Amino acid sequence: MTKPITWTCTGCALLCEDILVYIKDNRIEKVEHACLKGKARVYGCKHAATSTVDQKEVDVNNAISQAAEILEKAKNPLLYGWSNSTSEAQVAGIELAQTLGACIDSTSSFCQGITINDIINGSVPSCTLEDVREKADVLIYWGADPMSSHPRHLSRYSYFPRGELRQRGYEEDRTAICIDVTQSRTAKISKDMFFCIPPGGDAEFMRALMDGLAGRVPKLSFDFDIKRILELAAVLKKAEFGVIFAGLGLVYSIKEEFDLISEFMSTLNRLSNFFLIPMAGHFNMRGFNHNLHEETGYIHRVGFTKNGPVSSVEYSVVEQLKHGADAVMVVGSDPLASLPLSISRRLKDIPLILVDPCSNLSTRVADVTIPCGVSGIEVGGTATRLDGKKMDISPLIQGDGLSDEMIVRRIIEEVN
Amino acid sequence: MALDVSKFIKAPEYDIKIITRRDVFQASICEEDRFSDECLELSALIVLDAAEMKRMGIKDGANVRLTSIWGSVVVRARASPREEQKGLGFMVNGPWVNALVSDETPDGIPVFKDIEAKITISKDGMTGILELLLL
Amino acid sequence: MTSAMEIYQLLPKTNCKKCNESTCMAFAVALLSRTKQYTECPPLMEEDKYIDSRQKLENILKPMEGAEETGLIIHEELCSGCGNCVVACPVNVANDPHGSGKGFGPTNGKVIFRVENGKVKAANIEECRRFGKDRILCRACIDPCPTEAIEFV
Repeated sequence: MTKPITWTCTGCALLCEDILVYIKDNRIEKVEHACLKGKARVYGCKHAATSTVDQKEVDVNNAISQAAEILEKAKNPLLYGWSNSTSEAQVAGIELAQTLGACIDSTSSFCQGITINDIINGSVPSCTLEDVREKADVLIYWGADPMSSHPRHLSRYSYFPRGELRQRGYEEDRTAICIDVTQSRTAKISKDMFFCIPPGGDAEFMRALMDGLAGRVPKLSFDFDIKRILELAAVLKKAEFGVIFAGLGLVYSIKEEFDLISEFMSTLNRLSNFFLIPMAGHFNMRGFNHNLHEETGYIHRVGFTKNGPVSSVEYSVVEQLKHGADAVMVVGSDPLASLPLSISRRLKDIPLILVDPCSNLSTRVADVTIPCGVSGIEVGGTATRLDGKKMDISPLIQGDGLSDEMIVRRIIEEVN
Repeated sequence: MALDVSKFIKAPEYDIKIITRRDVFQASICEEDRFSDECLELSALIVLDAAEMKRMGIKDGANVRLTSIWGSVVVRARASPREEQKGLGFMVNGPWVNALVSDETPDGIPVFKDIEAKITISKDGMTGILELLLL
Repeated sequence: MTSAMEIYQLLPKTNCKKCNESTCMAFAVALLSRTKQYTECPPLMEEDKYIDSRQKLENILKPMEGAEETGLIIHEELCSGCGNCVVACPVNVANDPHGSGKGFGPTNGKVIFRVENGKVKAANIEECRRFGKDRILCRACIDPCPTEAIEFV
C-alpha cells in the first residue's frame, strides 16, 4: 500500500483535517478516518456531468461561450449555488455578478444565513470548534441532529473527546443536551437530557428557559414538565463554557422572531458563559457569506444595481426564481432537488446554466451544462469551516477538466 | 355474485404535518449515485409513528400517496422504531418532499419543517426521480 | 440478534446425528456459539428442499462470522463512520491518548476501532476489556453508537 496523504475533507462543513487518503495511479485506493459522508465525497459520483448545450454534447469551450452569451443577454441574471465551491471560486462569482449587474445568492439564503449574519455583526457570540473540544462542558444540540448531518461532530469536537479543560471527556466532564421534535440519533446519545418539544415550540421553550434562568416560573402552552425546564436552566447557569449548536430545526422555527436568539444568548451570558455555532451543511457555505460580506457588507441576497450592491428578500434565490430572474447560472447545487418544486420549476422555462461535477436533476433540464472538478478532490483553495475558521483545501488527484473558478473567470473574460 | 365495492370506496385520507430532516446514509448513497434504486428507496420515504400507521391502516413498507395543494407524490411509508408526536411524518429533504412544499416565502425561506399534506394508501408505484421533473 | 430457536426452525429437525450432535436443537445451540458451522449439516447442504432454509440461515449467521472471542459484531450496513466508538473505547484512549483520545483518527496500530472507507473496523480485539482474566462488561463502544451498529453476542 502506498503512503497516505493527510487531507482536509470537503464532505461537510466540519472540514476534518485528519483524513488519510491512499492514492495510486491518480486514483483513490482507500480513505481512513473519514465518515460515510466524507467517503462518498472522496470517491465521487457515478454520473459525471458533461458539456452540453440544449442537452447535446459539445466542446467545453462552446458551452462556456454559450453560458457567457446567455448571461450577457439577460436583463436580470441570477448566479446561485456557491456553497460547494472554494472561496476563490466564490470571489470570482461575486466579480462576475458585479460585471453583469446581476443578483447573487447562495444556499445560505434559505439555510443558516440569518444565524451567520448575527455572528458576523456581533449580536450572537461564537467560538471555534477547538474551543469546544478543549473547553466546552455543556453542549446543546438545538433543532440539530449532527449524528445524521455531521457524523464526526460529537466524536471529533463536541462531546466525546478529552480536552484540555475536559480531561475526562464525555464520561464525566461534558453534558450533551438535545432539544428536538423527535428522538433523533443525537437525542439518543443525550439520553435523559433530551427535551422533546412540539414543532414550532422552540420560541416558547426558549422563553421558558429565560424565565427559569431569571427565577420566574416558566409557562408553556403545551404539556411539559416544568421541573425539567428549571433543572435545565440550573445546568445552563452552572456551565463554564456552554455551546449551542443551532440546527435548521431551531432556525426555521424561530426565524420570524430571530432576535430572540440574541436575547437568549444575552440572558445566558449575564449568568453564564455561552456561545453559538451554526450547523452549516455544505463545506464552504459560510465562506460565501464572509466573502460577499467583505465585498459588499451583506452576507447573501445581493443585487449589483447601478447604485451599488443592495440586499433584501427581493434578491433572494427564492424570489428571483419565482419571478425576478430571466436567466440563472447554478454552481455546485441542484435547485430542482433542494428547493420547493413550486419555486424551482420555473427553471425549466428560463435559460439555465449548470456548473457541476455531477449529473443531477437540474442538469437534466439545463440549457447549458459545464462539468467542473470537485472541490477538495481535483480542485484546491480555501474554505471557511462552520465555526468561521479559514482552512486550506488541497486537491488529491489531477483532474482533466476545469475548476469552477476557471469556468467563472473564463465567462468574465468573454463577457468583458 | 357479490359486488366488489372496494373500487368504489376511496381509500381514507388523513392529515399529516411533514418535517424534513437529514440522514447520513441517504446523503452518502445519493451523492454516489443520485439515480440509483438505493437513493430512491432512502429518499422517497416517509417515517411515521407505528401506532398511527396502524390506525391509518398503512402497513409498514406500503406505498402511500402524499398530496398537498402544491403537488402529489407516491413514496414508501415506514414505521419509526420510536414513538413520535401525533400527526407527524418525517422525510429526508429532497425532491420528493419538495414536490409538496408551498411557494410562500415571506422571509426568503420556504416552509420546510411544517408541510401540511394528506396521506392515503396508494396502489401506484413510487414516483421515480425523473418523473418529478414532469410534475 | 438471533436465538437458538430461530436457528432450529431452519434446520431439518430430523435429529439424524450426521453433524455429530444428538439433536437438531443441540446443533442449533452449537451454531449460535459458533462451535459448529451450518455447512456441517449434510442434509441442509445436499437436499434441494432445504435451499431456502439454508439461504435464510446463512443470512442470520453471517454477522456473527466476524465475531471474535469477545463476541464483537459490527453491523457494517448500520455504521456511519461517525467515530464515536473510536474516541470512546478505553483501549483506544489508553493506547492512543493524543490521537483517538482527542477525537482524531487513530495515530497508531494499537487501537481496537478505526474507520476505513466510512465504516468501522476492529482489530487487536484481545485488548478489549471484555476479554481476559479481569474482564468487565464494558459498553463503551455500544452506548455511544447512534445506530446500534456494534453489539456483543
